[in-house]
Amino acid sequence: MDIGVHFSTLLQQIINGLSLGSVYALIAVGYSLVYSILSFSNFAHGGFLVVGGYICYGLLTMESIVVGGAVLNIPSFVNNIWIASLFALLGAGFVAVITERLAYKPIRERTSTTLYLLIASMGVSIVIENIFVIVVGGRFRALPQGTFPTTPFTFGNVTVNASDVLSLVFAVVFLGGLQFFLKKTRWGLAIRAAACDLRTAGLMGVNTSFLIGIVFFVAGLLAAVGGIFLSARYTLYPQLGGITTKAFVAAVIGGLGSLPGAVVGSLILGLAEMLTAGFISSQMRDLVVFSMLVIVLLVKPDGFFGKHISDKI
Amino acid sequence: MRTKSLIGNAAFVLLGLFLVFLPLSGYQEGIIILLCINCIAAMGVSLLTGFTGIFTLGHAAYMALGAYTTAILTVRLGVHWVPAIVAGGVVAVLVAWLIGIPTLRLTGDYYAIASIGLGEAIRLILENWQSVTRGARGFPGIDSYTTREAAVAFFVILGILLFNLINSRLGRELKASRDDRVAASLMGFHTPRSRMKALLISAFCCGISGALLGGYMNFIQPSMFDMMKSTELTAVVVFGGLGSMSGTILGSAIITLVMEYFRDISQYRMLIYGALLVVIMVVRPEGLLGNREIWTFIPGLSGKSNDRRRDK
Repeated sequence: MDIGVHFSTLLQQIINGLSLGSVYALIAVGYSLVYSILSFSNFAHGGFLVVGGYICYGLLTMESIVVGGAVLNIPSFVNNIWIASLFALLGAGFVAVITERLAYKPIRERTSTTLYLLIASMGVSIVIENIFVIVVGGRFRALPQGTFPTTPFTFGNVTVNASDVLSLVFAVVFLGGLQFFLKKTRWGLAIRAAACDLRTAGLMGVNTSFLIGIVFFVAGLLAAVGGIFLSARYTLYPQLGGITTKAFVAAVIGGLGSLPGAVVGSLILGLAEMLTAGFISSQMRDLVVFSMLVIVLLVKPDGFFGKHISDKI
Repeated sequence: MRTKSLIGNAAFVLLGLFLVFLPLSGYQEGIIILLCINCIAAMGVSLLTGFTGIFTLGHAAYMALGAYTTAILTVRLGVHWVPAIVAGGVVAVLVAWLIGIPTLRLTGDYYAIASIGLGEAIRLILENWQSVTRGARGFPGIDSYTTREAAVAFFVILGILLFNLINSRLGRELKASRDDRVAASLMGFHTPRSRMKALLISAFCCGISGALLGGYMNFIQPSMFDMMKSTELTAVVVFGGLGSMSGTILGSAIITLVMEYFRDISQYRMLIYGALLVVIMVVRPEGLLGNREIWTFIPGLSGKSNDRRRDK
């Protein structure tokens, strides 16, 4: 083992880590966005990711659909990653909005205790997971061959997977789009205002109910992007949403409720995970993730970019 | 006050005797054991979440510690099961103490998130420490020491302890620090210390519960004590009513029986459980009993309830 081998492993793992971190970032940003408005940890966020993944998988593989006994052939242009992803994003967004309307809104209107929202969100997450267990089964599914380019690029000793680069690029595009939406549009301004103080934003004439709907739609949409890339990276199964625990960790490391924080936290987490897998042992990677969480909470509970809230410590 | 608590203790012992001597089939006996095991863990979490206001999502880890300690002591070292179960509780307490020193400074969502992390970390350590725990394959061949008598006995002893505790000086300290930590400190309570005591007692209960679970199932596995189980513990407490020990027992019993009833359609079981959580939070977020104990609902006995503060 000479230095060169170590160095190429290092580069390799840094690229893998950035790619994994970018997927975490897509998930963590949506979670953080919801947290910034309603200040509760939405544990159903992983469910939205799974919904997106399964819609994409379903549209890519489906050839015909049975409606009331009649078999309708699905035109083959639907079995296209762009169309499938579009529907997956919209579908996950709508599921997120419906979740908010059915489960969170009645609680939100009745009490200000966020604990009840937290528990309801756990219930929703269990419901979504088990709907998929019942309807499509618990099997592991891989997206069809050729959905994503698989040709690896090679630079010297470092091999980069095309889909890793793709996920990095798309994460940048979507996060940039979110940033544009939040900074340059009227609703973005309203969301930023609501993140400061939801009640005051409402008094200033913002339709907060609609605003919360938009926030959940955006969160669901971003989660679906993450879900599609995660199902390409690993496989698709109903418990895939459990991976959002890591996105929560990333959001906390970056500072709960802060979007740049969520992105930075995700990248740190992705790098830490991949470097642990490359240099120590891949069994240790989850342990490293959770140790990082505890250390950050103890040393700097606001995270790197968090607003100071007196409730924290 | 004193006669009332004597009547309460006697009632608890009678309930225990009733559960022990009720003639039951083997299957029903299994349900009683499971009920006792779940109630012990839920009562522990209730003390922490319902009475101290520390919201935890990682207490299944303490169950795992209790279960593994007892399993290793009885199977590998041939220790008698009674000291082994107590040792399980003690190990859970020791780990909780080590964890509590730094993390109890956190409050609210932050403690909850930290507890997820720690709970998962403990589970991952058990899963990867192959030489001691046999890893993810699980630990088989545990004696069936959890008979109906043993489970009920532990339930009654811990139950009496906790019911008396919540009305004791420490109990009032915990409730005070839950309602307003600053005010409680100003009144001269050492809130960090009382919060730590609550954590240790709850960890002890969960350790005992896990140890009994090992003896009931004869087999333990790290995945039995994952985040799902932790969530269930806290959900049961909220379902029963935060700040109501009898509500916790009732809630735990109902959830255990509902899950048992739907065992035949196991596919739909978790779906129903999840939907139930959402519906309860939407329809009755304060839980079954709110923050009142069950006997305060009996007319004539409710005279002096000193615990009405959060009725909205």
